[in-house]
Amino acid sequence: MRRIAPMALLTAAVLAAGTLTACGDGSGGDRNTLKVAFPKDTNNKVTVRDDYVELVARAFEKANPGKKVKLIPIQASENDYYAKIQQMMRSPKTAPDLVYEDTFLINSDIAAGLLRPLDPYLAKWADWKQFEPAAKAAARGQDGRTYGVPDGTDTRGLWFNKKIFKKAGLPQDWRPRTWDEVLAAARTIKRKVPGVIPLNVFTGKGAGEAAVMQGFEMLLYGTGQDQLYDPATKKWVTGTKGFRDSLEFLRTVYGEKLGPDVSDALSPNIQTNVATELMPEQKLAINLDGSWLGQQWQPKGGGKPWPEWPTVLGRAAFPTQHGAAPGKVSLAGGWTWSVPRQSQRPDLAWKLIETFQTKHNAVEWCVRGAQIAVRKDVAADPAYLKSLPGIDFFTGLVKISRYRPALPVYPKVSAAIGEAMEAVTSGDASPQQAADAYDEQLKSIVDGRTVAKP
Amino acid sequence: MTRAATAAYGTAGRGARPRRRARALLRWSPLAPATVLLLLFLAGPIGYCVYIAFTDMQLTGQESTSFVGLANFRRAFGDPAFLNAVVLTLVFTLVSSILGQNTLGLALAALMRRASRPVRTLTGAVVLTAWVLPEIVAGFLLYTFFERRGTLNAVLEWLHLPTQNWLFTLPILAVSFANVWRGTAFSMLIYSAALAEIPQEVTESAAVDGASGRQRLWHITLPMIRRSIGTNLMLNTLQTLSVFGLIWAMTRGGPGSRSQTLPVFMYDQAFLKSLIGYGTAVALLLLVVGALFSVVYLRLLREEV
Amino acid sequence: MPAPAARPLLTRRARHRLAADAALLAVTAAFAVPLAWLVLSSFDTEANLRVKVPGSPSLDNFSAVLTDEITFTPMLNSLLLCGGATALTVACAALAAYPLSRYRSRFSRPYLLTILFSTCLPITAIMVPVYALFVRVNLIDTLYGTALFLATAQLPFAIWLMKNFMDGIPRVLEEAAWTDGASWFQALWRVILPLMGPGVTVVTIYTFAIMWGNFFVPFLLLLSPEQLPASVSIFTFFGNYGAIAFGQLAAFSILYSTPVVLLYVLISRRLGGGFALGGAVKG
Repeated sequence: MRRIAPMALLTAAVLAAGTLTACGDGSGGDRNTLKVAFPKDTNNKVTVRDDYVELVARAFEKANPGKKVKLIPIQASENDYYAKIQQMMRSPKTAPDLVYEDTFLINSDIAAGLLRPLDPYLAKWADWKQFEPAAKAAARGQDGRTYGVPDGTDTRGLWFNKKIFKKAGLPQDWRPRTWDEVLAAARTIKRKVPGVIPLNVFTGKGAGEAAVMQGFEMLLYGTGQDQLYDPATKKWVTGTKGFRDSLEFLRTVYGEKLGPDVSDALSPNIQTNVATELMPEQKLAINLDGSWLGQQWQPKGGGKPWPEWPTVLGRAAFPTQHGAAPGKVSLAGGWTWSVPRQSQRPDLAWKLIETFQTKHNAVEWCVRGAQIAVRKDVAADPAYLKSLPGIDFFTGLVKISRYRPALPVYPKVSAAIGEAMEAVTSGDASPQQAADAYDEQLKSIVDGRTVAKP
Repeated sequence: MTRAATAAYGTAGRGARPRRRARALLRWSPLAPATVLLLLFLAGPIGYCVYIAFTDMQLTGQESTSFVGLANFRRAFGDPAFLNAVVLTLVFTLVSSILGQNTLGLALAALMRRASRPVRTLTGAVVLTAWVLPEIVAGFLLYTFFERRGTLNAVLEWLHLPTQNWLFTLPILAVSFANVWRGTAFSMLIYSAALAEIPQEVTESAAVDGASGRQRLWHITLPMIRRSIGTNLMLNTLQTLSVFGLIWAMTRGGPGSRSQTLPVFMYDQAFLKSLIGYGTAVALLLLVVGALFSVVYLRLLREEV
Repeated sequence: MPAPAARPLLTRRARHRLAADAALLAVTAAFAVPLAWLVLSSFDTEANLRVKVPGSPSLDNFSAVLTDEITFTPMLNSLLLCGGATALTVACAALAAYPLSRYRSRFSRPYLLTILFSTCLPITAIMVPVYALFVRVNLIDTLYGTALFLATAQLPFAIWLMKNFMDGIPRVLEEAAWTDGASWFQALWRVILPLMGPGVTVVTIYTFAIMWGNFFVPFLLLLSPEQLPASVSIFTFFGNYGAIAFGQLAAFSILYSTPVVLLYVLISRRLGGGFALGGAVKG
């Protein structure tokens, strides 16, 4: 008896404390507090987005006395972030009032009824006409309504290390015109500069959409017209040579050991690894990656400050397969601020979106986040044009940039592509086998709405 | 809330005088809180599981949920990824639970009976620590151990043996060994308790009769602890069937799907591919397998209850 | 390793003991390697994936992770979650075990069989429907909802253990209490529980330790970062193998694991280790 009493008391106390705190944060919160969910980099040192959101939130609180903004930074890998926000948006109790949505997923979330259309607000908002038409379309649902306000876009290309190129006897103003020239440069580096990874192309399920978009689609979109989705027939495409060739390219890179070690390449953290270790430590010669990469090396809020990067790194557009016009490929994506349907405070949430999109804050984000501007006034702003080395190069790619099919099933198709990439990269399947498996999976994902383009 | 409970108690006092019934009710009332919790949070979800498994519920991508009959199950049995998960689950269970934890646990328990006290204490402490550590910490420690640049390869290099990229080439074996590392203590405890109950004179008289160690093990020790072996195998297998965190931390089911056991497959389908209905159908199959094992376990303990 | 006194010929028993010692030490060494990594890396700011002795041992890793965000908040969440759930489990299990252990009736056997049956169900399998259910009834992302589920998941095993311990208490003692006109509750509270102190301790600690290490349940049922217990926050911590601070991770792992390890030490001091548990479940 005497032995148990303290334990019983302790547990009773803990239990009481537990219920008290649990009751405190029930329901959807109070009327004056906005909850904002956004991804936090898995590398704790990278705080670019956190800092910016914090800055805008505090400005908003100052401008709207009595209102509070509660930040919900979700630290997770890309795939886990999507799973988490979808879980949150399903219940009114946990739904944030503002959520940061990747344009690749937004149509899926629109179709699931997770988001609220913003048209009534946009109609009264003067700044909306500053947005590029393509950017406006990024968050448009099948119903023609708009569900998010984009805050930037991004393009993709090759980053290469001039120092390593010099050692390998390759030109400092490298301009590959075909896939073969990219591979040739990588092989030269492998031969002449041992100990360096010649070429990184993101691949597999671990890197998620980064692998599918930065890796696979940069290849696929350079193999011909509509190799993924055919807008004319509104059907998904199967059996193309382009698909197999793109997988073959990956097989070459990883089979000839031109890329990172396969187990590293397939790890969920390869992106962090490339940006904070391999590139700054000059262990990687060529990297097919996004325009935002520079933000990782900024002196403030970056994961790995690297003052020399503007002089060390060169940039080149990624070529089409055999140099067919326009000769280069880029994909554009980007993120939007959206309001979940279950949010109890949509008007206030919209006000915060407006605060994010004052011209000053929009420029601030493009500069801090190494974003490509989606507003005409931001794109012309001197602060933006001088923000990062190479911003002009990547802004120049917007003209030829293509978009992913903006359809609700796209994320599932993307997952199937990721699996095909992973199978080829790990050597579990040949490009032909992986492509066949993808075709099978695709048919079940899109309910047989496919068209064969051999 | 208590209606279910009272209904159950009612049977105790059927046809009895009201006062006796009231007393019976009072006697059995301590069962109520536990019963309510179990009905709400265990029976409830299991019922819901059966329901969702026959629908096409999704996390995102569609607004409504509809009844699809056996479509999820048909899909599962035609899905190579599902079949792959079944095979991997079998391998994982066989290697880590039946061959690994069970055998190693028995061996340790038997050796500890003969060993000197300090060694016994040390072994017990180390093996138990591995068991006590939280699942995610264990997963992480073994990730570093098996990683390409990790300790295991360092040791192999030092011994001039060929190194392996374990987590890439044989991830299912790596996670199986991890599970052995983590779970052996449980078997060791059960077998220690069982061996301690074998009367000394039985083994000693056998030794005097000139039975060799192996004969004694085969003909005396094992038959005497057979019920513990059964219990241990059942509990281990069921534990192993539901391992998620360890695998998720070490490999996330990858590379490809080389270590994607059923729980990982289920999570992947339900939350990463947002097919809640399909993921639940797989979960239901796992539940049924677990239930079958449980029934066998009950048979083993029949005379106990 | 204590070698027995040198004699020209070791007795057979001593030979056996030596062989057993050697075999056990070999296994122990294999088991100890990952643990060694944990301890050594936590004092090494330059830690990597391999076991190595720190060049200049320091406590920097610990001071780096001893912040609100990394350690204190998640640990407090874990304590609230697991403490609350454990209290609930132990209380319900003690109450439920009493009639099951003391009375006979037509339905106590089926009830016990059902309990035993549910001890074995793979809880992992029902997590997806539990998640969907929690969304519907608005328990998602609440500490108390998660605690209720954790408590229920451990309940069958706790009831079973409790009943086994209670069966070991002779009835004679409480019959004395009955004749004094004590209610069942008084008999349970005044007579039985004090006598089965070690049993209650085992159930409590075992339940708590299992919950403390549980990852999947809070990983699915809790969403907001400020509510996550240590088991989930440590996962996001090493969600980046790429540029990971291994030393800090090891330090955080040690901080997070210490409570359960200490509790087990406590049990073994009291009751000769988890061996009591082995005895309770071996059937």
